[in-house]
Amino acid sequence: MSLLELKNVSKIYGELKALDNVSLHVDQGEWVAIMGPSGSGKSTMMNIIGCMDKPTKGEVLLDGVDISKESSKNLTDIRRDKIGLIFQQFHMVNYLTAVENVMVSQYYHSMPDEQEALEALERVGLRERAKHLPSQLSGGEQQRVCVARALINHPELILADEPTGNLDEANENIVLDLFAQLHREGTTLIVVTHDPEVAEAAQRTIVLEHGRIAREVINENFGK
Amino acid sequence: MTKRRMFLRMITASLLRRRSRMMIALLSIGIGATILAGLVTIYVDVPRQMGAQFRSYGANMLLLPKEGAALNRDQLAGVLETIPQDELIGATPYRYVRLDMTSRQQSFTAAGTDFSQVPKTSPYFSIEGAYPENTREVLVGKNIADNIGVKTGSTMELTYQPTDSGEQASPEESRTPNAELAGSAEGFGGGTVYVTVKLDGQAAIASLEIDAGTQTPEYGGRAAEDDNFLKQFIGKTLPLALGEDVDALSGATVTSEAVVQAVNTARKTEKAARPQTLNFTVTGILTTGGEEEDYVFLSLDDMKTLTGSEQLDVVELSVSASAEQLEAYAAAISDEHDTVQARLVKRVTRSEASVLEKLTALVFLVTLVVLLLTMICVSTTMMAVVSERRREIGLRKALGASDGSIRAEFLGEGLFLGLLGGILGGILGFVFAQVVSVNVFGSSITFQPLLLPITMIISMLIAALSCLLPIKRAVAIDPAIVLKGE
Repeated sequence: MSLLELKNVSKIYGELKALDNVSLHVDQGEWVAIMGPSGSGKSTMMNIIGCMDKPTKGEVLLDGVDISKESSKNLTDIRRDKIGLIFQQFHMVNYLTAVENVMVSQYYHSMPDEQEALEALERVGLRERAKHLPSQLSGGEQQRVCVARALINHPELILADEPTGNLDEANENIVLDLFAQLHREGTTLIVVTHDPEVAEAAQRTIVLEHGRIAREVINENFGK
Repeated sequence: MTKRRMFLRMITASLLRRRSRMMIALLSIGIGATILAGLVTIYVDVPRQMGAQFRSYGANMLLLPKEGAALNRDQLAGVLETIPQDELIGATPYRYVRLDMTSRQQSFTAAGTDFSQVPKTSPYFSIEGAYPENTREVLVGKNIADNIGVKTGSTMELTYQPTDSGEQASPEESRTPNAELAGSAEGFGGGTVYVTVKLDGQAAIASLEIDAGTQTPEYGGRAAEDDNFLKQFIGKTLPLALGEDVDALSGATVTSEAVVQAVNTARKTEKAARPQTLNFTVTGILTTGGEEEDYVFLSLDDMKTLTGSEQLDVVELSVSASAEQLEAYAAAISDEHDTVQARLVKRVTRSEASVLEKLTALVFLVTLVVLLLTMICVSTTMMAVVSERRREIGLRKALGASDGSIRAEFLGEGLFLGLLGGILGGILGFVFAQVVSVNVFGSSITFQPLLLPITMIISMLIAALSCLLPIKRAVAIDPAIVLKGE
């Protein structure tokens, strides 16, 4: 069953075609990596999938809803309800503790629940760091808090933008293990990366070049 | 945990854990609120403060007897009830008469007054020595003191000469049933003969008393004691003719003529219608730079002893109230009392009103400017806060915060700052006002309990207004900035 479908999507900034007639299909529960050099249109695609931008042309169906024509208010609602975001620079609210940062996501989604937030931190192995401020956490720990924050509302799609870009190898592995776990639980994952190792962890890799899909690679070794 | 608790937790965390920036915002609101609260306190207090200050320029209201009526001390107490006790600074009665100082062949205007009130209505009186505290003591104006050479501790013999003032009834009008009349005439050797006549129900003479102390004792002087002479007058109606109604006392024709003339010219008058002489001790010399330096001041009790009357000519009031209030009091007094009319000393009340108006306008203007500056300062700080927190705002929006949530959070922080700043300002503002009041007006102010909530509300309002533009900025932030490349 398809969760996300891009049909002939273009995003044009003046002369520049950031995305040029791209079509993409992601099934429910699939783990997809998007690769490509800078300027290839990865960020634009990420923005559109993450309901933070609208395409100039084409249709984007997320869980059956065409998000290419929605108002920005509705896009906010859809993003909140369906998508968990993970960023390269972690982005935590720097004056809130780890558990409070997770609760911020709950707060905008539905109802803050400290117990549930603590359980999410437990899951990423940071239960005992719950009361620490971001400045007291390492980069890897911060990114794990962000994973906990992304999964707290049980989104259908987790959208990760270079999630391991600022991490050392050990932390990269921890994050990838968490992704694998989420994948096993049925969460759909779209990971934008330029790191081949991260891409190899996914089932399928889409390679963007000059705003077009240059090729698609199926990971034969997935799960092995 | 409810959403509201999380909301408060986020806001307080933002304020408490991001101290430096928020301290600046808090400080600007706090200082603004301080000055605001201080100025409002002064603004409210200025009329009272200045009222008290103005009172050093003297009386601003006069009480006068109405045409043909008399005013005395007993009535005065009733009249003063019209004015609230805490606004009445002082009420000084005055009774003016001419007194003679026979030994120097001088005569002065003397003012009978209540010395306990004089300093309140005439604070500018400068006394060398002291105010009289007892009867038979006088305060002497500087000009008089210089002229006759008296100083503190000197004694003065002052005499009251009843005068034929036009205000008194004529002899003819005086001859009403049961009237009590007094008269005098020049007798033998230039001495004055005094008579007191009482009339009966038919306006005939019921009794006669003669004071012929100035006449030769063995001749005219007998008039006072000679029953046969006196008897002739009883039962007769005025006027009398010597030789027809009354026979002259033998050997004292001039005195007898004087008695008859005195009886015929006798009129209703105050009791002590004869000269009264009292000895006074000078307790102080008065310098004012004004006409008071030509007066002698003595107590109302002495004035009564001298003139036999408790009548007052004018009462000077010093009332700490606005011009409109004074007008109202004056109108009320004139309306309610048959015998008294109140007048404002326009020279004083008008200048007071104009000074007050200018002062309150100035304070109001300064308050407005301070509010504006506070708003600019808070707005700038909040603007800096928003740009500093662009990523956080973008993150919140990416996490699903609606524009409304972002607005609520910033407004919440603004209001919280306003609240804290208001409390800070309310307390510091009172201290500020107190310092200003003590240094400028020389008097302390009372704490207005309403000040704190008012300051808090105004600061919150200012904080909220100052946040409008920064909030607009915050809402406009694109959530995509949290993605890579930004």
